[in-house]
Amino acid sequence: MSFWDNRRSALVLVGLTLFHVLLISVQVPLGPGKSLFEKAIFFVFSPVQRAVTGTVRGIGSLWKGYFDLRGVRAENEKLKRQVFFLNQDVRFLEDRLSFAHSEAELRASLTEFEGSLVVARVIGIDSTNPHQAVVIDKGSLDGITRDMAVCDRTGALVGRTIAPVSLKESMVQLVTDKDSSVSVQSVTAGLVGSMTGQSKDVCDLRYVLASSPVGSEGEELRTTGFDKIYPVGIRVGVIQSVGKDAASPIFRSIVVKPYFDFASLDVVAVLTKGPGGGA
Amino acid sequence: MRDSAAKDLLRGFLGTLVAVALYSVAGAGAPALLIVFNAFSVIVLYFSIRRGEVFGALFGTMCGLVQDTFSLGIFGVAGLTKTLLGFWTGFISRRIDVGPFTRKALFMLVMSVLEMALWVLITAVVRLESVNLHGGLIFLQPLVTAVLGSSLFAAERRIKARSSRGS
Repeated sequence: MSFWDNRRSALVLVGLTLFHVLLISVQVPLGPGKSLFEKAIFFVFSPVQRAVTGTVRGIGSLWKGYFDLRGVRAENEKLKRQVFFLNQDVRFLEDRLSFAHSEAELRASLTEFEGSLVVARVIGIDSTNPHQAVVIDKGSLDGITRDMAVCDRTGALVGRTIAPVSLKESMVQLVTDKDSSVSVQSVTAGLVGSMTGQSKDVCDLRYVLASSPVGSEGEELRTTGFDKIYPVGIRVGVIQSVGKDAASPIFRSIVVKPYFDFASLDVVAVLTKGPGGGA
Repeated sequence: MRDSAAKDLLRGFLGTLVAVALYSVAGAGAPALLIVFNAFSVIVLYFSIRRGEVFGALFGTMCGLVQDTFSLGIFGVAGLTKTLLGFWTGFISRRIDVGPFTRKALFMLVMSVLEMALWVLITAVVRLESVNLHGGLIFLQPLVTAVLGSSLFAAERRIKARSSRGS
């Protein structure tokens, strides 16, 4: 019996443990950036996710299609698609109108979004915490790069694209992720702050000074564009509660309820010409 | 020797594909299900008991890293916990009798609890923050893993018994 045969199990365990400790040590200073190794694994396994989700959805729609009237269903799908685009257009027009100061500014900002929507399907959800990220079925071949804003059916902000971006799949960091940060402004009181996630279904509005005007519950928040990732004026959510920040008395503690509904997040729109990745 | 290693590699890859497929089905069905159902843990436990500690450790590494890839957490944390889960599950299951359904379920429950405790600990140390426990819902995960894992063995045994009766 050789040394290897006697201690094979122990050597494998020690080797793999050291490998992982090294991997974690490399990843910590790397922060949100993705290593080539991680990108490669995503590249190999994300098509599997895409195929399985597509099959499940396909079986589901086949089942529905069997019972529904085929013609009505097809027409309904077409109308849904049209409504989706019209909703997005209306939202952007409303947002642009409310933020633009002159006609020239309005024209400039409207042309900015022409042909900039890529419709994508959600094919996967974060394996550790569903409130952190989703995987969509559009990638670099569809013009997707990092830091593009992603909205839901109603035009409300969902998050942004992050690495890894594969050929036909990419990852989206949700605004509810604890490492997410969006510069927002309340519509009525004009409170400006940074909305960060809690990896739950609600977010925090941070860095709002206690001396600033009191925001009211139910007040809408929109993106300011200061972060150079999200275009200005996208609806984000509403203020759920306002209180005193026990940890830091100079700031308010504000809880925000995002607009996007996590449970019904199936189709999203990626803004490819925003100030982020598309710029 | 080389043939058996290649077969094990293929088995490991196919097992990982099955885990990804199960995780995707669960996510497509109900996103909240992913809090209580960890397909990767179920598959690692199953293969570790069947194939022993070395295969369990290597398979745990593969499944854990894939799980990390589909998450925004630190890359390698699930890899490490699944490696240890696979190794120790394979190692202990060769030394104690885990044949009966209830004993197997209990053994899987203990191993899943230990894996979760390690994951929470490493995440807390690496990220210097507490882990989101989803209102305690996450504590159901080991229980679901143990029930599903032992049910897999029970289903396998029943299918084998039926096919041997048939032949």
